Amino acid sequence: MSLASSRLLPAFIRPPSCVAIVRAQSYSLDLGALLLQALREFDLPLRGKKVLLKPNFVEPDPGGVINTHPAVVGAARESFLCLGAESVRVAEGPGHERDTEAIVETIRLRDYLGSLPGLFVDLNLDEVHPVTLQTRASKLRELYLPKTVLEADFVVSLPKLKTHHWVGATLSLKNMFGIVPGCCYGWPKNILHWAGITRSILDINSTVRPDFAIVDGIVGMEGNGPIQGIAKPSGVLILGDDPVAVDATCARVMGLAPERIDYLAKAGTLLGHVKPDRIRQLGESITSVRTPFAVLPSFQKLVASNGD
Amino acid sequence: MLPAEKGGGEADREAVSSGQLADTYCRHFLITNQNPDGGWGYHRASPSSVEATSWALVALTSWSQAPALAETCARAHAWLLQAQLPDGSWPAFPGQRQGCWTTSLASLALHFQGGSPEAVVRGLDWLLDAWPADGTLWWRLRQFLARSAMVHQDSSLRGWSWTPGTASWVEPTSHALLLLRSLPPDLLPSRAAKRQRLAERMLYDRMCPGGGWNSGNPLVYGVAGVPRIGPTAWALLALIDQPERAENQMSLDWLARAYAGIRGATSLALAHRCLAAYGRQVPPLAPALGELYLQNRFFESVLAVAWIALAWGGEGSRAGKTAGESLTS
Repeated sequence: MSLASSRLLPAFIRPPSCVAIVRAQSYSLDLGALLLQALREFDLPLRGKKVLLKPNFVEPDPGGVINTHPAVVGAARESFLCLGAESVRVAEGPGHERDTEAIVETIRLRDYLGSLPGLFVDLNLDEVHPVTLQTRASKLRELYLPKTVLEADFVVSLPKLKTHHWVGATLSLKNMFGIVPGCCYGWPKNILHWAGITRSILDINSTVRPDFAIVDGIVGMEGNGPIQGIAKPSGVLILGDDPVAVDATCARVMGLAPERIDYLAKAGTLLGHVKPDRIRQLGESITSVRTPFAVLPSFQKLVASNGD
Repeated sequence: MLPAEKGGGEADREAVSSGQLADTYCRHFLITNQNPDGGWGYHRASPSSVEATSWALVALTSWSQAPALAETCARAHAWLLQAQLPDGSWPAFPGQRQGCWTTSLASLALHFQGGSPEAVVRGLDWLLDAWPADGTLWWRLRQFLARSAMVHQDSSLRGWSWTPGTASWVEPTSHALLLLRSLPPDLLPSRAAKRQRLAERMLYDRMCPGGGWNSGNPLVYGVAGVPRIGPTAWALLALIDQPERAENQMSLDWLARAYAGIRGATSLALAHRCLAAYGRQVPPLAPALGELYLQNRFFESVLAVAWIALAWGGEGSRAGKTAGESLTS
């Protein structure tokens, strides 16, 4: 179970993390084969486990720029089943759009997963239980969280590689906002904004620890993300066993300095690794796939300089 | 027998083509999926929630006053009464200690069903005292000092928030306005009129530049927000007393244009209900819903079925309704 199963450890005690960068130029490639090959490197304890994939589905966007592409979701599901998972469900609680059905039907998730009822769960309308937060970065103390998430053995954050107009970049940690149920907190989940986005990201991820992250960077979004930015083809999938390290690697691929992204820098103290010397890199090197993303003027300070 | 009980896609297709979906499926679904405690969950066999129970009760009440439904509705009514918190509010689920946006819906459902005016008044009192946290002097000062260029809206205009201590948003504000406009004047305290006017102004202020509403940010970093079906339909239903206003007409035009592209049952039902309430021509609901049903059986969502029931009740309805009538007749 991901709920606080992994202890909060200072970075100097935590063992090194592992992140793989896989080159993938198009959604029409055999993404299942690519992901399976990369996942085998991690020797994940998946046999008999209930796996939950948490993509980033935001709005009914047929253009495929805003949401995690359903081809990546389908490939991830196929791969985790191949690796021995007992079941692999897909769950999301969009932050602005109440009609989750409209999102999954617009992006044609069925074409990649088959029949959705029973397989896809709308976390906004799931059964909820109160959970005490493991850190006190914000004043929230407790959140009602969905049963589907709490009962999963292995949670995978599956976001899109995007800039974000409030926090600089939205990746696997920020993606976990989607587990907070709209039926309790609304659309948007404004309580998280009032508690502080950075602080809420830390509290949520310290409490429900994603066991793994796979970032869809085949086509990302730059500029005024996470909704109104523009498509940024980057041709990568970035995955790893430490969501903080995955996000730090994503930031470097985007040409951003992860230490300057507030929530990521703070997450690097207790939740995972940000420093490159603590991240074992598999697959492509960061420099070989680096694709600088345009950011809003207020986030120019995040852009990596030569020294980063 | 329900198509799902017959099993197989053939039974589903038969149900859709014979028109059973409208009456048999929706009504039967709601009746058979009422929980033993009298409420409804968001899905089949899930714990009762205030929102799902409120909309199921509104749908069944509007559908028929048949004696066969009386017991079902009475049990739902009783469930809502026992879920009310001592301060008059309703939480999202029983057992939660804090009331929230569902207070408007529970009050609305109890009012439509009739009876228990004292519970409705207690809910109303809580709502009228529940000011969102944005728009306070302190909050505006902080915004000014931060010189935020992110959003451009008049923060002195306040509606209702989703949860206490947060900002005003379109949907909870619309729900509260629907309640205020549905209640008879003798139940409304004098302070209700002020909040109603302020909330209406807030909704118009938050309209997207080309018409329609999203959750409540019409302009972010100078870029026009994209309207969404749900918030647009709720805002228009809440503002139906001003049907000829240019903003309403512009938003209706947007909704009518977007209608053909809707891919979700809840959005389709809301858009249909809204356009019909304004007397706009709108294609028959059954074909599009039938297609969605065949794809996913509406994910067995109580909200979807309840709103579909309300939309069917509105087919062929006339314009010029009050906000309350626009939902239920």
